[in-house]
Amino acid sequence: MVLTRSTSPASRHDAAPSTQAVLGSGTRVRGRVTGDGDLTVLGQLEGEVHLRGELCIAEGARVVSDIDAAALRVAGALEGDVHVSGDVAVLAGAHVRGDLHGASVSLEEGADFDGRLDCEFTLPADLGTGEGGLSDGPKARR
Amino acid sequence: MASTVIGAGITIEGELSADEDVVVQGTVRGKLDAREGVTVESGATVEADITAGPMTVAGAVTGNITSTDRVDLQAGARVVGNVKATRITIADGAQFKGNVDMDV
Repeated sequence: MVLTRSTSPASRHDAAPSTQAVLGSGTRVRGRVTGDGDLTVLGQLEGEVHLRGELCIAEGARVVSDIDAAALRVAGALEGDVHVSGDVAVLAGAHVRGDLHGASVSLEEGADFDGRLDCEFTLPADLGTGEGGLSDGPKARR
Repeated sequence: MASTVIGAGITIEGELSADEDVVVQGTVRGKLDAREGVTVESGATVEADITAGPMTVAGAVTGNITSTDRVDLQAGARVVGNVKATRITIADGAQFKGNVDMDV
């Protein structure tokens, strides 16, 4: 439940995909992708994604789709609204257009983001009421 | 170029086109076009017309298969649809209903 603005380059988006499901760089999918496991996209995906695992949009990949997943890591281009139950990581070099909703959202330095962050977080005790706050998060209108 | 793997838990409904090898372990419904090889593994389901290079089927395919190369239906495969290919093998234990067109 934290909104972090990470600048650490620790995230590893160029590592070889360890998951079993991979849409390779020469692959284009138009339609609906659903599933239980993790999915790594290196190519192009247009449509709709419902995953119970992590979706990883690698560098060079392009996804035009609303996303519903357990976690999301973006290093490529993404256009669409994101609803994630876990963590959203927008890595350096990523281009994201759309609203991000997740338990935690991190934007790495060098990421290009155009949309809204919608994420719950607890305000520090010395700010506001001292109780936990619920916020729409910072809003950047398109 | 990395190849494409549709993992066992994944379902794709729509159109999939690839310039590279495609391995299906999950489900594909719609259309599958690949320039290179397509492998439908045991336990996989493809309900789609397939165009591909060399094809290996050990899972279930419902749809027409067009291959520029060979098609191997392995034991355990279940194919309902027409197969157009330059070469074809149907293993003992493979189920197949459809026509074969070898362009002779």
